[in-house]
Amino acid sequence: MTVPQSSGTNPLLDGLRIEPTPAPTALVIFGASGDLTRRKLLPALYHLSRAQRLPARFTVVGVARSEMTDDQFRDQLHDSLREFGGVARPDDVSQALARRLYYVQGEMDDAGLYQKLVAKLKECGAPDGVLFYLAVPPTVYGTIADQLAAAHLTGPQSADGWRRIIVEKPFGTDLDSAKALNQRLHKYLDETQIFRIDHYLGKETVQNLLVFRFANGMFEPVWNRRYIDHVQITAAETVGVEQRAAYYEGAGALRDMVQNHLMQVLALVAMEPPITFSAENVRDRKLDVILSMQPFVTNGDADHVVRAQYSAGWVNGGPVPGYREEAGVSHDSTTETYVALRAYLDSWRWAGVPFYVRTGKRLPKRTTEIAIQFRKPPLHIFSHVSPTPISPNLLIVNVQPDEGISVRFEAKLPGTRMQLAPVMMNFRYGSAFGRPVPEAYETLLLDAMLGDATLYARHDFVEASWALITPIHQAWASPRAKPPATYEAGEWGPSEADELIAADGRRWRTL
Amino acid sequence: MTSKMIDGLLPSGHDVKFSEIEAAFARLAHDRRRRRAPTRATIATVIVIGPPERLIPAAEAIEHLGDVGVRAILISEGTQAEAVARVTDTAVAVSGLAPAYLNNAVAALRLSSLPAAVWWRGGSTTAFSDLANLADRLIMDVDQPDDLWTAAVRLFDRTAFTDLRWAALTRWRAALAHLFDLPNVRRRAATLKAVTIDAADGASARLFAGWLKSSMPWPAGATMTIRGTRTEPASSLESVTLECDGPPISLKMREGRACFEATAGASESERIVPTGETSLSSLIGEELGVRTRDLAFERALVAAREIRL
Repeated sequence: MTVPQSSGTNPLLDGLRIEPTPAPTALVIFGASGDLTRRKLLPALYHLSRAQRLPARFTVVGVARSEMTDDQFRDQLHDSLREFGGVARPDDVSQALARRLYYVQGEMDDAGLYQKLVAKLKECGAPDGVLFYLAVPPTVYGTIADQLAAAHLTGPQSADGWRRIIVEKPFGTDLDSAKALNQRLHKYLDETQIFRIDHYLGKETVQNLLVFRFANGMFEPVWNRRYIDHVQITAAETVGVEQRAAYYEGAGALRDMVQNHLMQVLALVAMEPPITFSAENVRDRKLDVILSMQPFVTNGDADHVVRAQYSAGWVNGGPVPGYREEAGVSHDSTTETYVALRAYLDSWRWAGVPFYVRTGKRLPKRTTEIAIQFRKPPLHIFSHVSPTPISPNLLIVNVQPDEGISVRFEAKLPGTRMQLAPVMMNFRYGSAFGRPVPEAYETLLLDAMLGDATLYARHDFVEASWALITPIHQAWASPRAKPPATYEAGEWGPSEADELIAADGRRWRTL
Repeated sequence: MTSKMIDGLLPSGHDVKFSEIEAAFARLAHDRRRRRAPTRATIATVIVIGPPERLIPAAEAIEHLGDVGVRAILISEGTQAEAVARVTDTAVAVSGLAPAYLNNAVAALRLSSLPAAVWWRGGSTTAFSDLANLADRLIMDVDQPDDLWTAAVRLFDRTAFTDLRWAALTRWRAALAHLFDLPNVRRRAATLKAVTIDAADGASARLFAGWLKSSMPWPAGATMTIRGTRTEPASSLESVTLECDGPPISLKMREGRACFEATAGASESERIVPTGETSLSSLIGEELGVRTRDLAFERALVAAREIRL
């Protein structure tokens, strides 16, 4: 029998209904004893393993300051799966995964740690494809990169080998620090090796935005200034700063949410169609969006940006303290817990269409959505029979918690009279397919192992985003800047945010 | 003479005339909305053809499809021109229909604009061939598949075919393919001398063997042996062993049957693979996600027909 041509070098992969599996990989997690590893990374690895998405040769080496043996790190896997992965007791898959776990203890700035890491990788027969995951505070990103390079860990030892690094957010605190960090990483690694993670991009609905826009012919023709009146992007949280006050005091909502997550989401809404679904094409088009954005600061004033802090109020059925009364927060803090802004893009597609973005803590409900409001019909021909004003068409992309897409349109109410009313047509991932959507970290970890950076932020996007955001911080730091407004916890932000959008004759959606 | 509805098939349904089926669907969908029952996104029509005793488990499997919504049309063959129908809000059973009218019934009941998959659990081969024009996908699922396989091979250019056994073999094929990701395993496979497959279902073993023979370079003189076992579930393999230079490359069911082991000798290549859900519901659910011709399956089927037990 003739052997057919097969794809790649593995003849058995041809026609196999499985998604690509990474090449042999050693995953080195810096910050292996931390919260992110326990809550997200280890459960994600287990679920990938269950789904047969991990390579045949796969090793995990945890690195952290805490004293721990290999066996204790393996126990941590089972504990983490029980607490956060829905795996009540160890099973064959978790036990097999545990056998591939190893641990190295040390200080991140100690060259000895990296020698121990080299020895451990050798001892456990780890493959030469190594993915470093920096689940550590951003202050040590540069140090780890320096030490990895000094220990010759940033370059592969063989032709089949590779090196990649995943860097958690925040990537810098302003334009200068982001540039400095990029330069430091680029000293040892080229851009194709650096994966700046933004977990929003791993969410199913965010990815579906690309499919919705570019795999359907009916939406793209109306996706422009001729038909769209404005766009509202909302990321609302009910929680306060919780145990993150130390971080949040130095960050604030603009750094924590807008510079990364919401800029990425905005770029996906506004980008031009990429010529292919490849990392560089998609990221080129997203970069165009950020580069076309008008500056938020003119003459030293951030007039189109509102910042605010929550005061004491009532959320989720109980009273909560104000931001300045939270543990670890300075009593005269000016850190914003809420931001609303209006963005304009200087492009043929979007000229004159405002993008309103708001995010805040201690808001009435937890929700993230993108609402695209279309223009009203030019003439209300039913006004004499149905005097109620017609509602503009609305397309809502729910990012969380109930992922899906809804469309609002006008319909005739049943009856002999011509009476109009808005109705919603809903598509919900949870009920439409009844299949649990994968955790963002599963998608993103797998992509990094495969070397696919489509859902990761590129250096120029990060810098362009900071170039827009940093002047806002500078304006807020100016003596003539207005202090942050306040809003009561459990309300939808300050009145200044309402005024920002009302000045254009519009209003925030009531969520 | 009128036929009788099959006992136990769609027990909660309403008996209606064929011409009233669509109206009954609309009425039941309305009731469902009023009850605020969750609505799945409908992605296909699934037409199940088979003898009565094989339609009941198929109806139950479709009812338990977790992640997709489908309209199910369950048809048992008979001799009648006018058949008895029973309708629930997502399924219709048509009993006793003469094979000559089967494709007319399917044409009238399938959802427009969405794919139609025929799940063939038994019946006349002529009707099977006729449905190739109406179906976007034909899923074979019979105990003795030789005649059907022969018919399918002739129809490859008309529609997409698969055998439900193929879905059950996916994880076994994937596990072996993952081992072949290792360059040294591929090198050793070039020295293949013998393949031994242990399985309760000879057709599954032949399909797997057909896939191997049609996918990988097959050295002259390499032998293929299939050995019968009495293990359950019958759709699963028991073990696959590739003898070549160095340690064997093997897949072997583990005790408890929740996982199997894939190994190529060195510990670095060892993998524990969950056997996964092998229920009818899960297998048919997986098949509904496939829309296109599966050329690897077609090649495997052609090769499998040449392999005798």
